[in-house]
Amino acid sequence: MGLKNFEGADEEFNLEQMEAETEAMLRLRYLNAENATFARTPGGFVSLDIVGEADAVSPEHYDRVRVVRSFPFTAPDTYISISTTEEKSKEIGIIKDITKDVSKETRKMLEEQMNLRYFTPIITKINDIKEEYGHAYWDVDTNEGPCRFVIYMNSSSVVSLSDVRLMVTDLDGNRFEIPDYTRLSAGELKKLDLFL
Amino acid sequence: MKNKKREISEENIKKSGKLPQEIGAELKSRGITEADIYVSVRTDMDLNCDFTPGWLILTKGKKLISATADPLSGEIHFFKGMETRKSRTVARDRKWNFAEFDVSDLKNAYVERSVSGGFLILVHKDVNDPEAEGLAETAAAVSNHCMSGATKIERLCEKIIDGKEIDEEALEDDEEEEFCPVCGMMYPDSDRKVCPKCMNKKSIFRRTLGYLKPYKWRILVMFLCYLATAALNIIWPYLNGVVLYDRVLGKDEKFLSFLSVESNRFAVILLLIVLTMVMTKITMQLVGILQGVMTAKIVPRVVKSMRNDVFGAMGKLSINFFTSKQTGSLMTRVMSDSDEVSGFFIDGLPYFLINVFSIIAMAVVMFRLSWPLAIVALMFMPITFLVSWFMLPRLWHRYGRRHRATRSLNSKIHDNLSGARVVKAFGQEGSEVRRFDKSNEKVRSADLAVMNYDNKFSALYSAAENLASLMVYIVGAYLILIQKRFDYPILITFAGYVGQMTGPMDFMSFFFRWFTNCMNSAQRMFEIIDAVPEIQEKENAISLEQIEGTVEMKNVTFGYEKNKPVLKNINLKVEGGHMLGIVGRSGAGKTTIVNLISRLYDPQEGTVTLDGVNLKDLSFKTLRGNVAMVSQETYMFMGTVAENIAYARKDASRAEIIRAAVLASAHDFICRMPDGYDTIIGSSGRDLSGGERQRISIARAILANPKILILDEATAAVDTETEQAIQQSINMLIKGRTTISIAHRLSTLRDADSLIVIDEGKIAEQGTHEELLKQKGVYYKLKELQTKALALKGIE
Repeated sequence: MGLKNFEGADEEFNLEQMEAETEAMLRLRYLNAENATFARTPGGFVSLDIVGEADAVSPEHYDRVRVVRSFPFTAPDTYISISTTEEKSKEIGIIKDITKDVSKETRKMLEEQMNLRYFTPIITKINDIKEEYGHAYWDVDTNEGPCRFVIYMNSSSVVSLSDVRLMVTDLDGNRFEIPDYTRLSAGELKKLDLFL
Repeated sequence: MKNKKREISEENIKKSGKLPQEIGAELKSRGITEADIYVSVRTDMDLNCDFTPGWLILTKGKKLISATADPLSGEIHFFKGMETRKSRTVARDRKWNFAEFDVSDLKNAYVERSVSGGFLILVHKDVNDPEAEGLAETAAAVSNHCMSGATKIERLCEKIIDGKEIDEEALEDDEEEEFCPVCGMMYPDSDRKVCPKCMNKKSIFRRTLGYLKPYKWRILVMFLCYLATAALNIIWPYLNGVVLYDRVLGKDEKFLSFLSVESNRFAVILLLIVLTMVMTKITMQLVGILQGVMTAKIVPRVVKSMRNDVFGAMGKLSINFFTSKQTGSLMTRVMSDSDEVSGFFIDGLPYFLINVFSIIAMAVVMFRLSWPLAIVALMFMPITFLVSWFMLPRLWHRYGRRHRATRSLNSKIHDNLSGARVVKAFGQEGSEVRRFDKSNEKVRSADLAVMNYDNKFSALYSAAENLASLMVYIVGAYLILIQKRFDYPILITFAGYVGQMTGPMDFMSFFFRWFTNCMNSAQRMFEIIDAVPEIQEKENAISLEQIEGTVEMKNVTFGYEKNKPVLKNINLKVEGGHMLGIVGRSGAGKTTIVNLISRLYDPQEGTVTLDGVNLKDLSFKTLRGNVAMVSQETYMFMGTVAENIAYARKDASRAEIIRAAVLASAHDFICRMPDGYDTIIGSSGRDLSGGERQRISIARAILANPKILILDEATAAVDTETEQAIQQSINMLIKGRTTISIAHRLSTLRDADSLIVIDEGKIAEQGTHEELLKQKGVYYKLKELQTKALALKGIE
């Protein structure tokens, strides 16, 4: 093909290096108290040092890492993914079980980060839900104080995460959670009835 | 709005001066006056994610100041759609916390998204203190409600960090007025500046009446029919009760002489009355038929003209409208909205007037007959009205729930059947049955709820109905027996009226809901009809007779959503007759470039020109007549092959169509099809393979004979062999045209005069093959990957 004319630069192309990169992309690395040291940064984030890796070229250090849950709804404590913070972030490693694999202090540190990321007010009381012209107007109490918000009247606004757990998403995409709707009072259930 | 020239004005600065006094005072103590403020935006959280009001203020001195009030327990937080101007004002005596950042000391500022909000993160650079290098800190937290403000600050900070001028466009208030000017409620849908509470029902009503105007005589006839029915309905109980019982069976001589019949000839009079009654019934039926015929004649025509208007208006709208999230619902609504509106105006409205008339007339007759009895009857009437008023909406809710459950069940079935291959391959039939059973169970319980409530409703309704007539009988009997006010026939007449009144009453209970629904439908329809397309042809647009085909983009920045630029500062130029290749990974913005060149969108910043003329000034005829696109998604319209090829030039002769097909190497396979060029293709017709469709769309482009040809991954979806064939057709096609070609396979671009590599919305590399290979950058790597890596494995 036409491109064959440009084959002058063969030497610089290192296939092995590329394959190594691909392999690194496909690797799953577990982090635990032995190989990973997390520390608080002055700006309130978390840094990470990785030590004792057999095949590590040099000790890895990350000024700031992103802490993400792999299963935020079904298994919030397990498979915590630690990744770099740029826009197209790469995973550094996974903590299999945050309750067992890391120290208490580290766990607290990481959970702080996650609590900010997964901040979702929990609805404790439904005062009123009014439906009008394709929107539903909610007046609720949450653990973060009373909230009033509006959702579209379609099936994706109130999603059940389990048999009893509901997630409500407002016009802007703000999330609110009802951890167990069966524990609401009869009057509240009646208001919610439309979405069940 | 968008084309208005903006100049830096005092007003814009004042607009952002709606800060609470405490913040103003604090700013003053920091030596910042109102005039120093570039922009101020709202936030709604503190750094611990507690809801509380706050502001982010960016000053001309390149300082970013964040102010948050201490959270107050019990303070209500309003989100979009609930927030009003009033709820936005912050009480005076709050304690405020301030933080100040120097934007010029920053390396980077960005919004990190969380699940329902984000954090504005600032990354410092080493100024004097090496410790500070790379230190990140959070400046503010927002929920999605205040996200647009945070991204605006992000954008401005980025500009300051990049050392760019901040122009007025960047400062412009994104949130145009988001509140209803009448009731102060925020619009539930900011794309639709309509307050459902305050929309002008009167003018919508009048406008809708306009659709009925051509049929005014028929509507008059229909109205008369309704009137006649109502009148006959009123006469009937009278005939049945007073006349038959009282006058005839009661042997009223006066009545005979009134009708000038000889006395004692009651058999004759009976015959007469019965005949009258039969005639009345027959007339009622005839009038009913006439009215039905009229409705059948008018409704479809009104619906048709409404739909035509809506569809015509939709065609003029920009592509943006069709890709926006709500299009799907808008489309289906267009269909049902026109039904709803015309149905209401032709069925509901006249019936409403007649019902009002009937109720009043019946009430008058009843009062004339016996006022005490009338009062009793009318007192119990509202019970049925109230029963339906309260219970019907609840019944509809249950119907709605059943509808949703059924729909979800249907989609489960659809999901399962279309994925049958996968289900079988993984042996999941059993679990699919269980999944189905779960949805099926939901339908069952929803169904049960409907039936339960429906029964309750009917029982209560008929009980209320019976109660009314029972009371009339009891009171009537009392009046007859004890007070001897009137005779039995009056009671019969009365009972008849009571029975007839429940219908209109019932109608009234849902009429108002019907009215609002109809107005809402009409509003939605008119919204589309009135929508002003974003991409509009200018008045006195320039038409070019002969074009060279030089395309140029200057400093183009564009994003489908305002805050998320897909293209950043793109500069490129293709000389007339040359070919430009665009390379880049998916999502890098390649297709966006060609969307701008064919003016499906207008850039937010910068210009796109054709032969030096801004596309915005060019007539649609010149532009669309000279630009054609062959893309990866080929679309075949319903129709014959020939019609599809001649889509852009309906007047093309058969010879021309065949020539185009030959050039696109489509002629052979078309002739192999049983019906040749007359084969019906498209959604209902014959299936074509990907390569065949692609070749037909190339033939379409050849026939259109554009000066500028855009190939958007035209060969990405076909096999290598077909690609070779198509490539040859394309080589025929690009001769003498300006060609802009997007491709993954670099071999497709071997004839390109120049190439650009797009990465994350920016031009990463630019030049000829040789130049790019010398740069040893992305292009080089790509080329090596595609030729060398395969060659090493012995594939090539």
